[in-house]
Parts: sequence; C-alpha cells; structure tokens
Amino acid sequence: MNEIKIKSKNLNVYYGEKQALFDVNLDLNEKEVTALIGPSGCGKSTFIRCINRMNDVIDICKVSGNIEIDGVEINDKNLDVVSLRERVGMVFQKPNPFPKSIYDNISYGPKIHGKGETKSELDEIVENSLKKAALWEEVKDRLDEPGTGLSGGQQQRLCIARAISVNPEVILMDEPCSALDPIATAKIEELIDELKKTYTIVIVTHSMAQAVRVSQKTGFFHLGKLIEVGKTEKIFKNPDNKMTQDYITGRFG
Amino acid sequence: MSNEHTVKSYEEELRYLIDSVIKMGSLTESQLVDSMDAVIKVDKDSIDKIIKSDDEINKFRSKIDTQIMTLLVKRAPMAIDLRETISSLKISQDLERIGDLSKSNAKKVKPLPLDLPEELLGNLKRLGDLVIKQLNDVLDSYVNKNYDKAKEVWEKDEQVDDLTYIAMESVIDFLSKDKKNLDFSTHLIFATKNLERAGDHITNIAESICFLIKGEYLKGSRPKGKVIEK
Repeated sequence: MNEIKIKSKNLNVYYGEKQALFDVNLDLNEKEVTALIGPSGCGKSTFIRCINRMNDVIDICKVSGNIEIDGVEINDKNLDVVSLRERVGMVFQKPNPFPKSIYDNISYGPKIHGKGETKSELDEIVENSLKKAALWEEVKDRLDEPGTGLSGGQQQRLCIARAISVNPEVILMDEPCSALDPIATAKIEELIDELKKTYTIVIVTHSMAQAVRVSQKTGFFHLGKLIEVGKTEKIFKNPDNKMTQDYITGRFG
Repeated sequence: MSNEHTVKSYEEELRYLIDSVIKMGSLTESQLVDSMDAVIKVDKDSIDKIIKSDDEINKFRSKIDTQIMTLLVKRAPMAIDLRETISSLKISQDLERIGDLSKSNAKKVKPLPLDLPEELLGNLKRLGDLVIKQLNDVLDSYVNKNYDKAKEVWEKDEQVDDLTYIAMESVIDFLSKDKKNLDFSTHLIFATKNLERAGDHITNIAESICFLIKGEYLKGSRPKGKVIEK
C-alpha cells in the first residue's frame, strides 16, 4: 500500500442550508487511482472539488473539517489557491479545451505559473505533456490548429495534457469518459493506468466497470456520506456494507 | 439476494439461472437415487432409463452455461450477483460430474449376478444412502442459502470416506473368498469408488455455496476419513 497523499478528516460541505457532505474521512494513497462512486447528488464531485478548492468559487458553499495534502492543511485561508491548483489538476466531464491552438492549450498553464520561460522550454513541455497524454503522435504536425477541432476523445486527452503540463502531483477527474465512445474511453483508461505511476489520481465515475478497471481503491458515497471505502476488488466482489452491495448490483440508485 | 434490481429483467434472468441449477440438482439427485436402487436391487431393467436421464442433466449444463454467458455479457454482474453467477457455473459442473458417476454405476449393474449376498451390499447401500443425503442437504443449503448447513455437508464428507473404506473392505473380503467373484467384484469396487467421488463433488458444491454466501472460501482443509488406497 502506498503512502497517504490526501487525507480528509470530518469534512463537511454546505451549499447554503443544504449539507452536501457529512463528516467524510477518506485517505487517498499516493500514485494510486481512487474511484468515487455513488448515485447522482451523493457528494462525490463535491468531495473532489474540495481537494483543489474549486468550491471556493461558489459563494454559498461552506467547508468545514480538514483536507491535508502531504500533511499540510489546504483549507487554510492563507494558502495560495493558485499554487494549490498547480499541484492538483482537474479534468472535467465534458472536454473543455480553450478556444486556442493545441499548442497554446498546453503552454497556457506553464506560462501563467512561470514555467517554461523560453520558447524551447515551452516546446519541450508541450511535447512531453502531449506524449504523456498519448496524443503527441496524433497532433504533432498540427499544433497550431484549434484544440476544439479535435475529436471528443482527443479533446479530453488534450485536457489531460493541459493538466499535466504544470507538473501536478494530483489529478482529479470528474467523469472524464462519460461523453466519449468506447474506444476513446479505452484510450483514456489506458492513459490513467500509465499516469498513476507519476500522479495520484481521483476519478469520479458512474461506470462500475470503469471503476473496477482503473482503480485500486473505491469509495462509495450516498446522500453525502462515505458509506464504504476499500480495495476496489473487495468492494466489487464482496462489499461489507449492504448499501454498497445494493448500489453496485443495481438494486437502488 | 436482497432487494430487487431496478432492472426487472436482470432480476428475472438471475432467478431463472438459480431455478435451472435447482432443477438440475433435483434431476441429479433422482438419477443418483435410481442408480443406487438399481445397484442394490440388481435391477437391470432400469439401466437404460438412468443412462437417458444423464442426457437431460447434460442438457441442463449447456443451458446453464448459455444463461451464464448471457448474464455476463448483458449485465456484468457485481458482488453477490457475480458470486451467484460464478457459483452456478461451478455447481452445475459438479452436478454434471455426479450425473456421469451415477450413469457409470448404472452401467455396472449389467454384469452383476442376481443373487448377491446381503452382507456385501449392506455397506454399499449405507454409503449410497449417505451420499444421497449429502446431495439432498447440499441442494437444500443452496435453495435456502444456508451457510451452516453447507459447511456441515462439507465436514460430513469424512463419514463418506469412512463408509467407502468399509464398503471397499467388504467387497475385497468377498472377493478373497472365491476368485470366481473377481469379475463382478471389480465392478462393485468401481461403483464404491464412484460414490466416494460423487461425495467429493458434493463437498465442492458446499464450498461454492459458502463462497456464494460469504464471499470467501472455507478455510483449512476438509476433514478426511480413512483412505481407501491403504
């Protein structure tokens, strides 16, 4: 078992009056893929949005409790959120490349984070990021074309390359394949398998099969509570909690 | 199973699979009872019927295989449903083997003389009765998802081993009295061994049921009785 990279302790999240997460205690291991599953509205996306403080942009959202990355509390008001998001990248459900060239999509992050000062340094970052995202061979001859012109699967890999370009430690993925066809999904899953050697990955998915395929650890959320967490194999073969079993076997949800 | 699936047809497919295993089990049990009856009564007229019933069991096996493949492809079952599916596959394999052994025993009736002494058949009958009871109990534990009962069957196989040893000894004693008994005694030795093997398949089924219910295999090795190869 790898070391704990992210630790949430008694994490509670409120959207105005509505409580979205209840005392979530969850450890995420370094260089492992953790899948979060559960019915819509169960709090899994809310949870991952706490890891890079995306909830800060929602005025009515209040967070209490702790989230530590490498033992450092990230809910600290004095923490620089920009540098946190440099360390914790995110990929969303729908591919959202910038309306810019493929090259600019990747180089944008390093530029604003002060990485890659020269053109050749940026070129190297772009190439490496696209290679890590298994997209380089498909786009190397058309880096100046718009990112939005790529296929859905390619766009999602472009977004992954964009997340990688600032050399993060953690990558959050919120249903990254739900808009993709099976082949594009398979490519992303293959990529996740490769990326976990370098990054700690948290993926929210509605596909049980995907959770089984890509993750080593799985957490099941229901109505804002973490019901069960454990090794993926155990969760899908023989979960301890009846609610987990009922959910993954399609008996409620 | 607990609550019903959101998808009703999935629920029906699983139910249908379990029903098929139960029906196959019941057919296998009848065939085992008939074949034991044929051996003990040296009833040569029933041999063909028993051999035919094995075809029915084999057909069930193919049907269950198809049902399982369809379930795996259509539903990608998880947790208890996955274990239910995998256990059905394993149980149906063991039932089919028990069917083969019953058929083999029925075939052994043909060369037997009609006037076999009672002391020779008594131990064989006791062994047969125990194996039939074991099969009945294990099928009951499958129907009722009764872990303790399945485990009891698993442990009781020790008695099957012991009775096999005793039945084997009585055949060998009989054989040693007169060498002209050699031909049909050999058939009785094989019939005894077949029952012991059927007992082993029953313990496999018990193990599958325990795995189905708790998600883990029985720990440790099964208690063993006397070894016939002595």
